Amino acid sequence: MSKEYILGVFNDEATLVDAFEKIKAKGIMPVEVFTPYPIHEILEGMGKKTRITHAAFFYGLFAAVGILSFLTYAAVIDWPLHYGGKPFNAFPSFIVVTIVATILSITLLTLFTFSARAKIFPGKKAEIFHERATDDKFVIVLDPESLGADSKAVEEIIREHGEVE
Amino acid sequence: MEEKVVLSGKFKLITYILIGIGVLSFALGFVFDAERTWANYLLNNYYFVSLAVGAAFFGAIQYITQSGWSALFKRVPEAMAAWFPFAAVFFILMFFGMHSIYEWTHDEVVQHDHLLQFKSPYLNIPFFFIRVVVFIGLWIIMSRLLRKLSLQEDEHGGMDYFRKSEFYSKIFIFIIAFSFSLFGVDMLMSLEPHWYSTLFAGKSFIAGLLHASSIIALIVILLSKQGYYKQMNGSHLHDFTRYIFMASIVWGYFNFAEFMLIWYGNIPEETVWFVHRWEGTYKILFFANIILNWGIPFLVLMPRKSSRSKMIILPVVLLLIIGQYTELYYIIWPATVHEAKFGLLEIGTFLGYVGLFSWVVGTALTKASLVPKNHPYLQESIHHHF
Repeated sequence: MSKEYILGVFNDEATLVDAFEKIKAKGIMPVEVFTPYPIHEILEGMGKKTRITHAAFFYGLFAAVGILSFLTYAAVIDWPLHYGGKPFNAFPSFIVVTIVATILSITLLTLFTFSARAKIFPGKKAEIFHERATDDKFVIVLDPESLGADSKAVEEIIREHGEVE
Repeated sequence: MEEKVVLSGKFKLITYILIGIGVLSFALGFVFDAERTWANYLLNNYYFVSLAVGAAFFGAIQYITQSGWSALFKRVPEAMAAWFPFAAVFFILMFFGMHSIYEWTHDEVVQHDHLLQFKSPYLNIPFFFIRVVVFIGLWIIMSRLLRKLSLQEDEHGGMDYFRKSEFYSKIFIFIIAFSFSLFGVDMLMSLEPHWYSTLFAGKSFIAGLLHASSIIALIVILLSKQGYYKQMNGSHLHDFTRYIFMASIVWGYFNFAEFMLIWYGNIPEETVWFVHRWEGTYKILFFANIILNWGIPFLVLMPRKSSRSKMIILPVVLLLIIGQYTELYYIIWPATVHEAKFGLLEIGTFLGYVGLFSWVVGTALTKASLVPKNHPYLQESIHHHF
């Protein structure tokens, strides 16, 4: 990591949220907040709304339609075969395959979408801001450039309950 | 936190009128078309007892999972369980209509039918009513017990009542799982005693949970429109719709699995049930069931916004109310009335039951504080937020 960041490290949720609100009140947006579990105020405060659920819905829709039409094409139009006296268009039996394959395609496509958006790929070196950010600590990451003249005040806020690194 | 429901005079008047319509419809029905009336009687009895069982199950699940969010609303499932004594009376009165409804009660039919002879140790009238009494008796005892603990908790507080309720709930869900499965088989599957389906019990059970949770949501929403439940927010509604959403997916899955395996296996004893139901109105109902009970809830309640909006939940719940009716109609009518007759008799009797059910649940709601006092999770429920 070439860039320098200011980290605020806290021990519990209440103090983190408190400091977060105060920093935001100064008009500064933290680069990132690491918490051991999702905290509603932080999710809302960071102003990041995920659109991945919508993406997943459309992947599912297209996958379901695509798989059903492929099965119909294969079993009815292109190569009709008799199986156990069933009609060529054995629609109910297609549904099981469609459900399972749709779930698989949603999972994989959403995973790829997420990885692409979050710029994660296999073998990437992890960006670790703080050793215990993925453990039990609550960490706020701040960009010192965005602080400007407020940097002293922000450090005060953090020092109230946490520590600055 | 003291909050008591007061039933308005208008509400009582409407329920009395509805009960009157129901009584009148039954009286006229028995005079003109007794067989069809008994089918109506069975349908409505089963419809409303499945709601009560589903609600009792819902309440027990909340104790077992130690759910925080639902503590505010636990009086609603408790009130719905007050239907059990009425259901017991109605099901016992079915004694007089057994010959009109069930084929296996006719001795001369059983004598010439090897399969029915084989089944007769289980399917005979005395044992049938012993089961009815034992099952509904168990439901009454267990739901009364939980209700009593819940009311005592209001007075004394402390964790003891919650722990006891949780323990009895664990017993209760086993009782429900076992007895309601057999109950569904007795009441509905034995209408066509030659037919087998192992999934039938599971399907009727989950249908009960699905429609009970939608009725619980309906009652809560109606109460909040009257000014009760001021602490309710979008997160509570979202949790109610999650129950509806989950149960409707499971119902859709069971319904499809039952049909698909029977269709694919193509064994005459099993397919005969669907062959009767694959023509005319019943074929329409077959698809209507899937759309009402699975398709609409699944698609409409999926987005986060719509599952938090009363304006969207209400129509879905109303469609689910129709959905349970069409499902039972689809099961009962081909076996008893044969022709798909639907008219004032069906509407009148259903309205009568709606009136009585609303009266029973409404009265039960007035008997205790609507918001429980001293429930260990009450504060968590009030601040529920996600």
